[in-house]
Amino acid sequence: MDVSDILAAQAEKHKAIAVEKEIPLDVDAGFLAVTDPNPIEKESYDENVEEYLQSTARDGVQVLLSALFSLPTTSSPDGPLAQLPPPTTTLPRAKPLPKPKPPTKWEKFARAKGIQKTRKDKKEWDEEKQEWVNRWGWKGKNKEEETQWLSEVPANADVDYDPTKKARDERKARVAKNERQHLQNLARAQASGAERKQRKADIDRTLATTRVSTASMGKYDKKLDGEKKLREVKRKFEPTEVSADVEKKNNLALLAKIGNVPAKRSKHEGNDAAINVRKAVRFASKGEGGVALARRAEGKAARGKAGRRK
Amino acid sequence: MLRVVKPKNARSKRAMEAREPKEVEDARTCIFVRGTHVGELAGAAMKELMALKRPHAISFSKKNTVRPFEDASALEFWAQKNDASMFVVGQSTKKRPDGLTLVRTFDGRVLDMCELGVDRFVSMDAFKTPKATPGHKPMMHFASELFDAHPRFVQLKSLLMDLFNGEEIGQIHLAGLEHVISVTLAPTPPSLASASADEDETGPLPAVHIRAYTLQLRKSGVRTPRAELVPMGPALDLSLRRHRMADPEVWKLATRRPKMRKQEVEKGVGRKQKNMEVDEMGDLRGRVHVAKQDLSRLQTRKMKGLKKGREGASGSDGEGEDEDEDKDGGKEAGEEPARKRRKTG
Repeated sequence: MDVSDILAAQAEKHKAIAVEKEIPLDVDAGFLAVTDPNPIEKESYDENVEEYLQSTARDGVQVLLSALFSLPTTSSPDGPLAQLPPPTTTLPRAKPLPKPKPPTKWEKFARAKGIQKTRKDKKEWDEEKQEWVNRWGWKGKNKEEETQWLSEVPANADVDYDPTKKARDERKARVAKNERQHLQNLARAQASGAERKQRKADIDRTLATTRVSTASMGKYDKKLDGEKKLREVKRKFEPTEVSADVEKKNNLALLAKIGNVPAKRSKHEGNDAAINVRKAVRFASKGEGGVALARRAEGKAARGKAGRRK
Repeated sequence: MLRVVKPKNARSKRAMEAREPKEVEDARTCIFVRGTHVGELAGAAMKELMALKRPHAISFSKKNTVRPFEDASALEFWAQKNDASMFVVGQSTKKRPDGLTLVRTFDGRVLDMCELGVDRFVSMDAFKTPKATPGHKPMMHFASELFDAHPRFVQLKSLLMDLFNGEEIGQIHLAGLEHVISVTLAPTPPSLASASADEDETGPLPAVHIRAYTLQLRKSGVRTPRAELVPMGPALDLSLRRHRMADPEVWKLATRRPKMRKQEVEKGVGRKQKNMEVDEMGDLRGRVHVAKQDLSRLQTRKMKGLKKGREGASGSDGEGEDEDEDKDGGKEAGEEPARKRRKTG
């Protein structure tokens, strides 16, 4: 069987949308962008700029379209939607990534226990009314006990026992408790992190200072149960014999601390330089410095030019 | 400085929440600022660029004493106040006539800037052709090898993509593709072609041609249509001027990607997930592989007849055990999904 005819026909079909370029184009379908890395042809550019720009753009767009039209699609009321892949070009964000919310006390506990979150609907089915009613809020089910026309009174109740008021107070107390827990969670979230660590360290330091701030330096103070001994700075004795390098380094460090700074000067001008540049400049400028020397040299040159012009 | 305020009603709360950082961001809002003197060319160019950027564009129509390269505090204030993260500042001076400065911000601070000089500008009105609908997503086309190699042009490409097309979208209606913004450079001068990319101040940089075309799709006999372009305008010829690159540290922060969400990981967007799939009910199903049990060591009922002979086990015994093993293995494989189902459901 000869399939060359079919192949030729197929090739002919694709001819209209084929684009031939030396370097294949770089398509970023996620951003609907295409980059043509081929160098600009100078001859055709010089000949007619607008035409060249349009033809290059057409080729690029054709490649982009072939990429877009080969993407998988989903149907929608408006027509098929092409599913775009995530973009390959990295563009900077406008704002930093959102920080995750610190978990509440309950969320922490639930995670430790492996309790799944269940979402309650706002509406609840009322068997008596045979309809959906609000769980809370306007005509909420949680106010049922307060609004019902008849309620039970325990046998040993006071004379002024009011079941409606009792139910209402209980509900209000639950709301107040929730609000309190909410505020505690907020406070906990704010206190966590670096700020809290800093505060803890400060307190520890203050405590350590106060403990040794009595006349006996804390020796005869009343000790609390479980109070730990203060950690003191341990004295450390260096070995008497050290290598020459270490000794030199230690001594230089000591000298640098005192203020005599041989280390710094050696950084500016190499020790092994044949000429002490600083000294040479001082000598040449008669102690006035490099800037003055340069100024004087400039002045001389300018005067010389002026003379020539005459 | 803006005060940190607590929202007093639900509407202002929603408005404040909309300004909070999001994992997947919306398109950048761009403010078009007129400097102390804009001039005809730059002013018209700004107007038309704004027409392309709409609806994510805010126009500052009054003159403003703003010099982005000297003091960007005004821009940072506007960025915060308007929840915008991009600026186009038009300014025309004797030294730098008809300048447009593209400024991008990150977290309310200026990230990078690039000044462009408008050499030639042709308005949309000059082309008597149909225009694209405002708000439609344009396609972007960049042509030159310098867009991958030269730091100035890498920055320019990034800025222009952010200006026109920086929004990540999951899907698109292909019939809604209406226009193309094409950015082409003039031929690369030999000084740039030979020199390495890091010497960016050596020679003159090639001009930048920005053209906008509308797209016409023709039948081609195959699924992909043939594209034809019609000039729509505006047409801009730009030259690169001053610029400021982003600080590498800040750039790193700005290009940080969000961690992949659970659903995406389940779908296998990130690394390839083995043995996990989401069924049509939305339950995560796993497949557990248990190593094959060695049943030859299994202690069965002790009987004199089953004792191994001193000369070694006979062949027929071994075969029988093998059969048992297979059967057990099959049963276990059948049970496994059922156990899993109970757990996930």
